[in-house]
Amino acid sequence: MPDLIPVTILTGYLGAGKTTLLNRILTENHGKKYAVIINEFGELGVDNDLVVDSDEEVFEMNNGCICCTVRGDLIRIIGGLMKRAQKFDGIIVETTGLANPAPVAQTFFVDEDVKAKTRLDAIVTVVDAKHLLARLDDSPEAADQIAFADVIVLNKLDLVTPEELARVEPRIRSINRYAEIHHATRGNVDVTKLLGLNAFDLGRVLESVPDFLDEDSHTHNEHLNSISLSLDAPLDPEKFNIWIGHILQTEGQNILRTKGILSYKHEDRRFAFQAVHMIADGDFVAPWKAADKRTSRIVFIGRDLNRPQLRRGFESCAA
Amino acid sequence: MSDFDALLKARGVSETLGANITAGVFNRAGSHAAFALGDGSLRIADGKGWSRINAHEGAVLALAPDCSVSGFLSGGDDGKFQRVGVEGSVSEIAGFGMKWVDNIASFAHPKSGLLACTVGKFVHLFNADGSKLRSLAHPSTVSGIAFDAKGKRIAASHYNGASLWFTASTSETPRFFEWKGSHLGIAIHPLGEAIVTSMQENALHGWTLPEGKHMRMSGYPSKTESFGFTKSGKWLATGGADAIVLWPFFGGGPMGKPAVELGMSDGAFIKRIACHPEFEVVAAGFDDGSVIVADIVKEKILPVCGPGRGPITALAWNASGSHLAFGTESGFAALVDFSRQG
Repeated sequence: MPDLIPVTILTGYLGAGKTTLLNRILTENHGKKYAVIINEFGELGVDNDLVVDSDEEVFEMNNGCICCTVRGDLIRIIGGLMKRAQKFDGIIVETTGLANPAPVAQTFFVDEDVKAKTRLDAIVTVVDAKHLLARLDDSPEAADQIAFADVIVLNKLDLVTPEELARVEPRIRSINRYAEIHHATRGNVDVTKLLGLNAFDLGRVLESVPDFLDEDSHTHNEHLNSISLSLDAPLDPEKFNIWIGHILQTEGQNILRTKGILSYKHEDRRFAFQAVHMIADGDFVAPWKAADKRTSRIVFIGRDLNRPQLRRGFESCAA
Repeated sequence: MSDFDALLKARGVSETLGANITAGVFNRAGSHAAFALGDGSLRIADGKGWSRINAHEGAVLALAPDCSVSGFLSGGDDGKFQRVGVEGSVSEIAGFGMKWVDNIASFAHPKSGLLACTVGKFVHLFNADGSKLRSLAHPSTVSGIAFDAKGKRIAASHYNGASLWFTASTSETPRFFEWKGSHLGIAIHPLGEAIVTSMQENALHGWTLPEGKHMRMSGYPSKTESFGFTKSGKWLATGGADAIVLWPFFGGGPMGKPAVELGMSDGAFIKRIACHPEFEVVAAGFDDGSVIVADIVKEKILPVCGPGRGPITALAWNASGSHLAFGTESGFAALVDFSRQG
């Protein structure tokens, strides 16, 4: 496997503090070089040697998959960046405030040339602690950005009271229970918590999935939510493929992200599965350790998820 | 075992250039080849020696022969569109700040030569002397451009189709050829009978001229990054598969006619195609680094270079077809002499 360049997607609603966070990442003394792709020049400039300004250009793939949208500008720019003699340690893609993160993420699953050179490291979403609740009420993009996140930077904490914070965080959790949340003021988060996470390398991620006690505890009227399922019996890979294929084909528009670590019958390696909407990818990762309990876990983040139906389907994949 | 490098050794000169080669072309005289590199330089080869010209900061993204007999045109991710002389002169034709100059084309003519470059959604059109003619706006980023054989029209590929403009007109609206999806590159038939684009979905799409009837050419295992018509216009030679895929543009083709495949490899895919300027002959460069030349009429294959030096990223004939230049992603460059000797 060649060294793939990690790509971090930095998303967040207008005014959440993306550019401030970006500049903090870039100016921190980590000795690393990043290429930055931005889609709008804000009032704040971006403080970096290699900044590429592009228009977000989304197109639909003609592959029979109705929600398979891809960012053509990213394919072109990443191709161009790979030609440079001056190498860099990573690429950061800052999306516009109103952007749906799906096309960006899907680009890294769909395009063979992009896949051959880069890997998606994590989706980092910056949210404004002061205004998030209002945004969630008036713009679906704000909720989507939280749903897609691997990491959420809860920013502008200096502007909220402890009571306000106590209302914001559960609301984030009700949408996405599996993202790491970091508190910040003016984007002051340790860069090691944002970059180089391998969040799409699921081997690690689902180990930190919180326990399943609070399973059905969300009481918000949020359409977007996240559920996780587990199964101790080993899975039959064929049954799983048929089931998940069908689920994503029929429900993929509503399921934003799927992540799973699976224990297949007669297989000592763990199988990592993930999808963005209908586009799925999977691979064997590190083997189960002797002491591990071989529990298969799968997480869905999406809109109006039917938990009993998903649970029954998942359980029917047992070998 | 046969030596796939025999031709390269017997009739070639080569050099390791130390950076990703992004393009390669000959000047119009055919006396010099230029290679564009990811380190911002052009390397000029005349068959005897190699010289270096520092043309851009960042990577050189586009390269074409100038309208003059000896020079070149280059575009880079430093936003510059430049003229480069073989002796080392560099002069800026236009600058575009942070935007990249992605594609370049030129049309040579004693009186009405033209230059074009693409920057984002625009094709910028210039006279041969570098004076600006006009800017052609498109609905999305332009991925490829081509002049027709007479310089009367220029075609541009972009999202959802292609646009065809008359170069001498001042009209703001091109003829638009619609087909949904992301189109990545474009070619015009030498007799003006069709335009063809390559697509994101491992396929090509074409429109007949002047009717605009659709042609769909699919079945590729990877993206077609490079394609072109043979001199006669009878064949469209395409990369993206493990053999040269030739679509017949005669006798009612290509629709309803099978494509011809030549030069089947052992699992390597073709990255670059270069049609010979005189004969029904095509050069092909693979992602394993090998290069072959195929005679379409005789269905014969001549190996030029064996695998192992990096995916082929540049491939070009000179104007008389006596020399072939090629370069690889890892910086290996060569010129091979095909002229009759002795």
